[in-house]
Amino acid sequence: MTDVIAERPAKPSLLTLDARTRRRNAAEARFRAYGLAAVMAGIVALVVLLASVLGNGLGAFTQTRVTLQVELPAAKLDKSGTRDIEVMKKATTLTYGPLITAALSAAIKDRGIVVEGLSKKDLSGFLSKESAAQLRDRVLADPRLVGAAVTQSFLVNGRIDGYEKGRVTMQSAEKDSNVSPAQLHLADALETAGILHTGFNRDFVTAPDASDQRPEAAGLGVAILGSAYMMLIVLILSLPIGVATAIYLEEFAPQNRWTDLIEVNISNLAAVPSIVFGILGLAIFINFAGLPQSAPIVGGLVLTLMTLPTIIIATRAALKAVPPSIRDAALGIGASKIQAIFHHVLPLAMPGIMTGAIIGLAQALGETAPLLLIGMVAFVRDYPGAPPEGFFDPSSALPVQVFNWTQRADPAFVERASGAIIVLLVFLVIMNTAAILIRRRFERRW
Amino acid sequence: MNDMRLEERIVQNDKIKIDAQDVQVFYGDNHAIKDVSVAIEDKTVTAFIGPSGCGKSTFLRCLNRMNDTVAGCRVEGRITLDGEDIYDKRVDPVQLRARVGMVFQKPNPFPKSIYDNVAYGPKIHGLVRGKAEMDEVVESALKRAALWKEVKDRLQAPGTGLSGGQQQRLCIARAIATAPEVLLMDEPASALDPIATAQIEELIDELRTRFAVVIVTHSMQQAARVSQKTAFFHLGNLVEYGETGQIFTTPRDPRTESYITGRIG
Repeated sequence: MTDVIAERPAKPSLLTLDARTRRRNAAEARFRAYGLAAVMAGIVALVVLLASVLGNGLGAFTQTRVTLQVELPAAKLDKSGTRDIEVMKKATTLTYGPLITAALSAAIKDRGIVVEGLSKKDLSGFLSKESAAQLRDRVLADPRLVGAAVTQSFLVNGRIDGYEKGRVTMQSAEKDSNVSPAQLHLADALETAGILHTGFNRDFVTAPDASDQRPEAAGLGVAILGSAYMMLIVLILSLPIGVATAIYLEEFAPQNRWTDLIEVNISNLAAVPSIVFGILGLAIFINFAGLPQSAPIVGGLVLTLMTLPTIIIATRAALKAVPPSIRDAALGIGASKIQAIFHHVLPLAMPGIMTGAIIGLAQALGETAPLLLIGMVAFVRDYPGAPPEGFFDPSSALPVQVFNWTQRADPAFVERASGAIIVLLVFLVIMNTAAILIRRRFERRW
Repeated sequence: MNDMRLEERIVQNDKIKIDAQDVQVFYGDNHAIKDVSVAIEDKTVTAFIGPSGCGKSTFLRCLNRMNDTVAGCRVEGRITLDGEDIYDKRVDPVQLRARVGMVFQKPNPFPKSIYDNVAYGPKIHGLVRGKAEMDEVVESALKRAALWKEVKDRLQAPGTGLSGGQQQRLCIARAIATAPEVLLMDEPASALDPIATAQIEELIDELRTRFAVVIVTHSMQQAARVSQKTAFFHLGNLVEYGETGQIFTTPRDPRTESYITGRIG
């Protein structure tokens, strides 16, 4: 038999590598280098993405405001003199606007500020168009304010805010018909006088969206609430249905052509483009079932359809991963199948199921395309009501709000859109962290 | 194979507990068990021996219908427990398994506390009323499984934290807590070291006073040490079945002799 064995060099030394070993080592080194390069490319892309989003979007979390003392003459705001709310509502923002402009002009005069070439239009355009509405809302909420003077901080125009954040400069203002250099000088002077300041902008996460003309007032309140409602619907519907389906298919269903067909279809559903689910939702939930457009209930139902395959697949994988010895142990002492599953298999599969569910939810949270088709792209300024009625109220959603703001002309909306992306990412990070924590918490050895 | 104790082991009771007649088992097209007929006596340890893949575990799993859970498995023939056909349509395998308990090759405690492991069977079968009674059942099951002294101070500790031998005794305690009539053991000591194995074997001998015990084993020494009756399986056939002493000293079939002397298997 010895002559079959390949000839080797008489005495190979362990201290020198032969050609074959060198080739194998080189192949391994190359493979490691490719892997490392791929990881580095991924990290670089992530850093660039985060830097660009943070660089553009962090500004949305601060806002420039001017604190003014405004006279509220009863003669103009409450013609009846009875503080009757219905009468007071007749005074529109057109009445309130000049009051604020007058207050601004008084403040300039009081502090002896002189700005060259500041026109009347510059003065009225210095503040946000939203500020009159803010003041009116405050007065209508508390009619006793009429007849006295109130101190309130008002949003400044988006361009002035952009100047404070460095987006607008003197050079760009000269070419921009929406802002004049005189307004920017005024902003500098007011800041020196201590009544103009840039601070944390809570309204960005609580206020509703605002029109194209008022980027400074636009907020994510309605979108966050709408997204939260949809996630609630998705969780309530898809978790029990998905887990029950997976348990049935994995543990009870007979193995035949029908169950094979169902399994193949579930796997395929997970890969269906999301916009197709939007068309389905439009046809079934809105056109056929007659549910309202732009409502979280419809968005939630559509996203549930999208999330179900993810949860079913994750749950089945988790059930499969439970060692069969646990099932045998339970069946061997006379537990019924359902007892074995609910007492032993399901608790062990729980971390996997919860992780799958949260990842499915996170995916649903970021989904935009199907929501566009069911009308969630509409401009909604009213907060939806409390659930369950609120599920039927029109609302927006976080990713759709991002889509919406990137469409708008004013450059200030670029900042808003990036800010909304940051909020969306924060929610995704929270959900993924929760998935990891739940996994760690429930994971048990067997 | 001259175990001295063989002579002392008189079968005390020759009442038939499980009677299997012409049992055939098919896995799809594979004919795994062919024409096996065995009468298992009460209060006796019956050992199934044979080379790997000879069907002894498959046959054991027929006795409490654990094969029902295997897709594509079909059992023919007649197996009776106390004269009742266990494959009758009216029989619920869950009720059967409460009376015919099983211990598996690999220790498989539930990832719960020691107490909950033992209490699970009595709980789902509604055998006890109240916490005090359950405590008693758990204690007596653990005592009979010779585990009580080692775990009595940590009943709430996880069962998976015990050593391999302790885990297997916990599984035996879990099986006997449901008060079965027959205890099936599928190579219960194959994953254990010699000391743990000796403890399990001693335990099996004690269990015999209360139950019929059927044990599948790869170790002929083990079969000789613990059993009163031995059945030798080969390629799906039952080759020989008889008193353990007779099988190991004067086997009738040449295949049995080859196996116990180490020429096949």
